[in-house]
Amino acid sequence: MEQMQPLEQKIQLDKQTKLEIELLLEAIYRLSGFDFRQYNRSSISRRIYNRMKINNIPTISRVLEKVIHDKAFLEQLLNDFSINVTEMFRNPSFFKTFREKVIPSLRDYPEIRIWHAGCATGEEVYSMAILLQEEGLMERAMIYATDMNEQVLEKAKKGIFPIHKMQAYTKNYMLAGGAHAFSEYYKTDYQYAYFHPTLLKNIIFAQHNLVTDQSFNEFHVILCRNVLIYFSPQLQSYVHQLLYESLSDQGFLCLGDKETLRFEEVISNYAEIACNERIYQKKH
Amino acid sequence: MLNRLKLGIRSKITLGYIVIILCLLAAIIILNHQITSLQEERNYIIKYDAKVQELTNNIEKYILDMESSQRAFIITGEPSYLEPYDNAAKSWKTDFNDLYLQLKEKPTQREKLKEIEETIEHWIETSGNPTIQFTKDNDTAALNEFFKVDNGRQDIEKMRNLFESFRSAENNYTQAKAHQLDKKNSQLTSGLFGILIVISTISIIIANGISQSIVKTITEVMQTIQEIAVTKGNFKRRIHVKTNDEVNELADATNLLLESVEKREWLQTNIADIVKKYQGISAISGLAETFLSEVAQKTEASLGAFYVREEIEDQVLFVKKATFADGDDLLGINSFKIGQGLIGQCALEKRILFYDNIPQNYRLIRTGLAEMRPQNILLVPIIFEGEVIAVVELATMTSFNDLQQELVKQVIENFGLTINSVLGRMEIVRLLNESRAMTEELQVQSEELQTQSEELQMQTEELTIINEQLEERTKEAESKSKELEKAKKELEETAEQLILNSNYKSEFLANMSHELRTPLNSILILSEMLAENSHNNLTDEEAEFAKVIHSSGEDLLALINDILDLSKVEAGKLDMIFNEVNMNEIPTQMEHTFAPVAIKKNLAFLISKANDVVDIFYTDEKRFHQILKNLLSNAFKFTESGSVTLTIQQLTQQQLTSNMQEVSADWLEITVSDTGIGIPKNKHQLIFESFQQADGATVRKYGGTGLGLSICKEFAKLLGGWITLQSEEGQGSSFTLTIPSLPNGIEEEQCQKLAMNEVAVTVEEVALIEEQPQEKEEVSQHEVEVFQGKNILIVDDDHRNIYALKTALEKRGMNILVAKDGLESIEIMQANHNVDLILMDIMMPIMDGYEAMTIIRQQMKQTDLPIIALTAKAMKNDRDKALQAGASDYISKPLNLDQLLSVLRVWLVSKGS
Repeated sequence: MEQMQPLEQKIQLDKQTKLEIELLLEAIYRLSGFDFRQYNRSSISRRIYNRMKINNIPTISRVLEKVIHDKAFLEQLLNDFSINVTEMFRNPSFFKTFREKVIPSLRDYPEIRIWHAGCATGEEVYSMAILLQEEGLMERAMIYATDMNEQVLEKAKKGIFPIHKMQAYTKNYMLAGGAHAFSEYYKTDYQYAYFHPTLLKNIIFAQHNLVTDQSFNEFHVILCRNVLIYFSPQLQSYVHQLLYESLSDQGFLCLGDKETLRFEEVISNYAEIACNERIYQKKH
Repeated sequence: MLNRLKLGIRSKITLGYIVIILCLLAAIIILNHQITSLQEERNYIIKYDAKVQELTNNIEKYILDMESSQRAFIITGEPSYLEPYDNAAKSWKTDFNDLYLQLKEKPTQREKLKEIEETIEHWIETSGNPTIQFTKDNDTAALNEFFKVDNGRQDIEKMRNLFESFRSAENNYTQAKAHQLDKKNSQLTSGLFGILIVISTISIIIANGISQSIVKTITEVMQTIQEIAVTKGNFKRRIHVKTNDEVNELADATNLLLESVEKREWLQTNIADIVKKYQGISAISGLAETFLSEVAQKTEASLGAFYVREEIEDQVLFVKKATFADGDDLLGINSFKIGQGLIGQCALEKRILFYDNIPQNYRLIRTGLAEMRPQNILLVPIIFEGEVIAVVELATMTSFNDLQQELVKQVIENFGLTINSVLGRMEIVRLLNESRAMTEELQVQSEELQTQSEELQMQTEELTIINEQLEERTKEAESKSKELEKAKKELEETAEQLILNSNYKSEFLANMSHELRTPLNSILILSEMLAENSHNNLTDEEAEFAKVIHSSGEDLLALINDILDLSKVEAGKLDMIFNEVNMNEIPTQMEHTFAPVAIKKNLAFLISKANDVVDIFYTDEKRFHQILKNLLSNAFKFTESGSVTLTIQQLTQQQLTSNMQEVSADWLEITVSDTGIGIPKNKHQLIFESFQQADGATVRKYGGTGLGLSICKEFAKLLGGWITLQSEEGQGSSFTLTIPSLPNGIEEEQCQKLAMNEVAVTVEEVALIEEQPQEKEEVSQHEVEVFQGKNILIVDDDHRNIYALKTALEKRGMNILVAKDGLESIEIMQANHNVDLILMDIMMPIMDGYEAMTIIRQQMKQTDLPIIALTAKAMKNDRDKALQAGASDYISKPLNLDQLLSVLRVWLVSKGS
């Protein structure tokens, strides 16, 4: 029994932490409307701890206090929560497969609506725009790029990316089957690459929260790559339902390479177009 | 079932045969009898006929014997002849009686016979005996008499006739009899045929009947079986046979078979049903529920519970996973151990336990209306690999029949495997989910890490910047403190020197005033006198010289005055008078002033004034002249050979910045260049300082106060312009004065604006620019960092391309290496290891771009060196090949400089920054 003591204490501690995190997330939800309550706890807690380390805050309760009283800190924390890791033509093979297997089906549509859910700083949106332009579909396409974080959307709207990433992007672009010289799409200065504003012509950037907002249209393609991994399984199922309902018949759902529909209920309503690239097509 | 007499097929057939045989037997007997009687009759007729014939013949013979013997006796008289007579007389009667007896049924014949008897007796009476007697008596006469009449003869004749008729009558009789027999015979024959037909008919009927009865049932059975076969599994149908024979038995056996098949079918269908139901279920509770509900339905069970083996804390427990017909979740215990209770016993013994004596307190089965006690309980262990992995309990209100029990038994046989596979699958799904969660977690973590690393990088960058700034500040502080110290020292020194200087200055000025004014006075006066040429003994040229001397002297005097005013200049107290200046006069004036010097030093003095220079320019003429003269005299002073050039240009609108335009529309650029000793770059700044020359040696060699440029700079500023310097040591110098036309004088603000302009115009210069705007400086600095000093290898066989690229890139500070084909590029690469980037054309002689890239990448192991392929626009194939060969990027021809620079920035920027 004596040996059991520390274990129980630890559990107790964990419970406390859980409670603290729950309270914090509740507070954030009430204060900002951003609902992280169903996010992947381990990720969220790491983000919180990270912020605590940076700001030298000893307990989550103090974070809570700061969140409630310090608006700037809340903003900061919200920014911490939204992970915006992205790159242009991320997983080039995905874009290559998209070009080969999805684009031919899209050619028949008079109008193509694409939803980029969780577009972050927009790298993939521009990638998609370039791809569509090269395939001659840009005129007919409308890309709705959404993210819950308005700061990153502001960045995305500018189409300016750090120049030191361009080498990797160039490689990705070429591996993704790019049809032109990548440099045709941007200009640089010593610090940034500026993508041509013509790419932006058919892109609409808008704030949208997958957790709290509803669908806003019916889409032929939905890209939601590496977004759901931050959600709890329940939330993932919920969002999958939302995405499913937002897809037109025969519409395409594209997920990140570490994500899968396999264990989701909605899988029965999809046909796997390219399993390895996580491209699914909604059945009739 | 009726207890019918059993009549088998064998008996039927035997019976048939017996009937036929009996019929035959009867027929044979009848026939035999008929034939025998016929035979007898015939024999009788034959015998009778013969007898009658014999007897008649005998009688006739006797009579004839008697006659002949009588006659013989008569003739001879010998008694021996009489013997036959006597014999015959004795014998005939017996035969006659015999014959008579024979004819007892024939009265007519008897009549005839009697007549014959009478005749015979008559003969004997009348003829025989008397004659014999006569003879014996020898009464010949009587004899003759007698023979005369001879009545005997008549009798014999009569007798013979009678016999004849008798015989014919007898013959007729026999004939009739034979005829009768013949008739009988033919009757018999037809009777035989009749019997044959009858028996045949009977046989056929019997055979038909028997075969009918056999075939009919067989057909029935067959039909039923066929129907069963056709309906495929309608095993409910049974064969009904009315007969009680082997076919019936066959039907019974078949029915039995059908029954067992039906049971088996039922079992199989239900098992299949159940199996089908639980296919695709991936959760054990769902499986248990389905199984239970299915099995309960099939076995008409009313209660059920499903327990699955689980190991909880090293204890094997069977935990309830599903119940059937249990409204509240109270059905049965939630778990039990092996051996605990009957159900535990069941798990222990690994066999099905069946109970039909239900204890009083067993749970009641509830319906909407009532609660009932179950009648039967079935405890079933589900075994997999010899281990009980689950136990099912079923209870029913009726009773489990054998079939239902069998169903349960069979269902559970494979169910263990299913449970196990479902458990396995659940485990797999759980593990997969876990692995998915882990994969996602990894992805999340990696992204977080990336974010963090980016954050860290940003922080590091920030820190670095802060650090740099701090360092800079430290340095600044250090240098400032040093400067301060220096300044302090300098101040001290200056303070000391100031006294000295002021002493020097005043001394100098005093000296100047004294030393210069004195000779100047005489020069001025004398030169003026000379210029007047009152004696007319001077040539025109000499008079001109005198004028020059005079004007120079005046200038000198003015200069001396200005020196005195320098302090005023520096304090901004110098009065500027902006006025019209006739630019056309400038060249002449300068020519006048400096031509003699030029001639003296044997230098060429070239003055060029552009045509578009405005005639009237507003500035302070005095200061303007002074600047020009200063610059020119400097130029002449420091030039030993060659030329001094004065160029006057008007700045075009394009060359003016907005700031400059705001100040004035007309700007002049006056350049004084020489081919003199030049000024080293590090001294450029210095020479504009007061009392300074490039170095001490210069002072010694060329003399001078070192004041000129300082004054020029100050004057230029006061005129709203600036002076820039382009010079290198030994290459001559070129001072450029840029000033605006200012009809309304100059204001403070304009001065400031112009200070900015100075920067814009003189980007490449270092001389006068002290305050450069921060941003602009950063841009150019980074720009310089990216491109400056980078070694670019251009591989192209087209000279024009090379030239264009080289010029464009060199202009931005890059060092260009050129190769005319792939092979050359390889050679350069081998010789020079500092190439930062290669621009590689594809189509080249000797060795094309692909090959060169492949060699660079693979043989030279230059995997990170950026190689940018220059491809023709339309050829996708080219691009793919270039990428395969190892190009880092490609850019389409014709090249767009902007794009090229963009790409170069991308590939030359250091990755970490």
